[in-house]
Amino acid sequence: MTKLADLFYRTADLHPDKTAIWCENEAATYRELAEMVSRYSRFLIHHGVSRGDHIGIPMNNSVASVALILAAANIGAGLVPINPTLPQHAIQTAFAAADVKHLIARRAFLEQCEKSGGPNVAGTTICMDEAYDGFPSLRDAASLPAERPISGEISGEEILIITMTSGSTGTPKPIVLTQQNKIDRAMAHIRLYGITKEDRVLAATPLYHSLAERLVLMPLLIGGTSILLPRFTPKIWLNCVREQRVTFTIAVSAQLNQISAELSNPDAPGIESLRCLVSSSALLEPHIKANLIDKLHCDFHEMYGTSETSTVTNINFRETADKVRSVGRPLPEADVMILKDSGERAEPGEIGEIACKTSLLCKGYYGMPDKFQEAMRDGYFRTGDLGYLDEDGYLYFAGRKKELIITGGINVYPIDVERCVMELPEIDECAAFAYPDDRLGEVVALAVVTKEGCNLDKRAVQLHCARNLADFQQPHKIFFLDQLPRNAMGKIVKSRLLEHVTLNAGSP
Amino acid sequence: MNVADFIIGALQKKHAIDKSVDLDSLNYVEEGYVDSLGIIQFVSEIEAEFGIAFTDEELASPSFQIAGELIRLVERKLEEKEGNA
Repeated sequence: MTKLADLFYRTADLHPDKTAIWCENEAATYRELAEMVSRYSRFLIHHGVSRGDHIGIPMNNSVASVALILAAANIGAGLVPINPTLPQHAIQTAFAAADVKHLIARRAFLEQCEKSGGPNVAGTTICMDEAYDGFPSLRDAASLPAERPISGEISGEEILIITMTSGSTGTPKPIVLTQQNKIDRAMAHIRLYGITKEDRVLAATPLYHSLAERLVLMPLLIGGTSILLPRFTPKIWLNCVREQRVTFTIAVSAQLNQISAELSNPDAPGIESLRCLVSSSALLEPHIKANLIDKLHCDFHEMYGTSETSTVTNINFRETADKVRSVGRPLPEADVMILKDSGERAEPGEIGEIACKTSLLCKGYYGMPDKFQEAMRDGYFRTGDLGYLDEDGYLYFAGRKKELIITGGINVYPIDVERCVMELPEIDECAAFAYPDDRLGEVVALAVVTKEGCNLDKRAVQLHCARNLADFQQPHKIFFLDQLPRNAMGKIVKSRLLEHVTLNAGSP
Repeated sequence: MNVADFIIGALQKKHAIDKSVDLDSLNYVEEGYVDSLGIIQFVSEIEAEFGIAFTDEELASPSFQIAGELIRLVERKLEEKEGNA
């Protein structure tokens, strides 16, 4: 079994002078990136990081971040990448759940930690910028030898990434991805989309989510070029694709909605280099898909997957004429079953929970084997999404079993927003729900009922959320109601909230 | 806290701003430092830090998206606040 770092170094030996990675103002050849990975590996070992240790890292998109992923693979350590805008208590919860021992962060993040008193780690804290407050600076790695340190036996079963994308930020489920998981997932996508060393693969989503991690690894394991966008706007994306001659990317549908609108501008750049574009996270409206295919002149796919299972199904646009609104057929690595509430397998056309058996399955939830077992049924992972299969084995999405808002491709658990808002003493009850949005697909909306005699304005709610929730959790709409819609049992009926606020609410 | 330092710090939450960038004329929305997901928190944090409230007109103005203009706007609002105190 070839290990991930070995694959990378072997590829670097084959193409030393080829551009391995480009990220705005930085670029590195394979030789330069390999030397960076070697220096970072030595630096981490020197500062007490051992095989099996977990390193928390508020992640941004940069060459250094990618080098750290490869360095972690090289020494058998695991990274716990997180969104830097998460509030401190959520970061502490995530780090505790993932047994984080060390921290690598930018100075701005460490300054913020100092102000708010956390998170403290038992091991080493490393500053990615200049040395700060006695913490060593990652920049000092530049003075270390560039030869690859090979530290002991790496089996490939070491945890490489623990990703916190399942479960609320109050009770995160840390998804374990080993080095072998990451190789298997990268290779499956390389095969699925025919990626070669001639490809220039764009990653334009955050590296603290698994999609971008996969997109940077794919080219680096086979001699392609990784193009990494540090920030996204549709204009920046289009200019990057054109200037960097991007040939392949996977984008979230919220990005593609914006890109499609931008392409309708008369001064939008002409794009000739794209060979293949994949949309993920939610189905695109047919007219948006048609516009993208027309303007970008490339092969176009849509896919469905989860963080636990990676990509489950894929559909090429040429198939969709007969399979309207399908998310496609399973990858060769996967099998899909629809489960009825009774636990039995559903017949074609019957709606039930989508369950997936796949060789790309994550290793489990860190520290929560029981929770992971609860989600498994006869080797199939229960996704919590509803759907049905047709007679030809094509999967159709029919909604979410779990209560979830998906904004800009990111999961928001309403309970996280509600718990935060309920801290305000003036609030009697509240409910967070999905509100449709042209750019982001959905945004977080909040319906609020204040206590009798209490006055509270939208600004006070917004300020409280800004201080205590991450960027993607912020409510974009706040509605004040006299009461929330309930059923005969007194339970809040969230599915009626959208209609309810439209009819009853004060101005958002 | 100094208005410029706070706003530049808030802009760099996710991505460091390269030293070569002219902060005064930086359009932080067009350059992706604050996106559709981040704008609400960004605005709310500035309002909370300085005890001010932006009007709808100020939020909708193109100059709101220019770092230097935003800094000057906040400084003006603080002066008005002190003048009224």
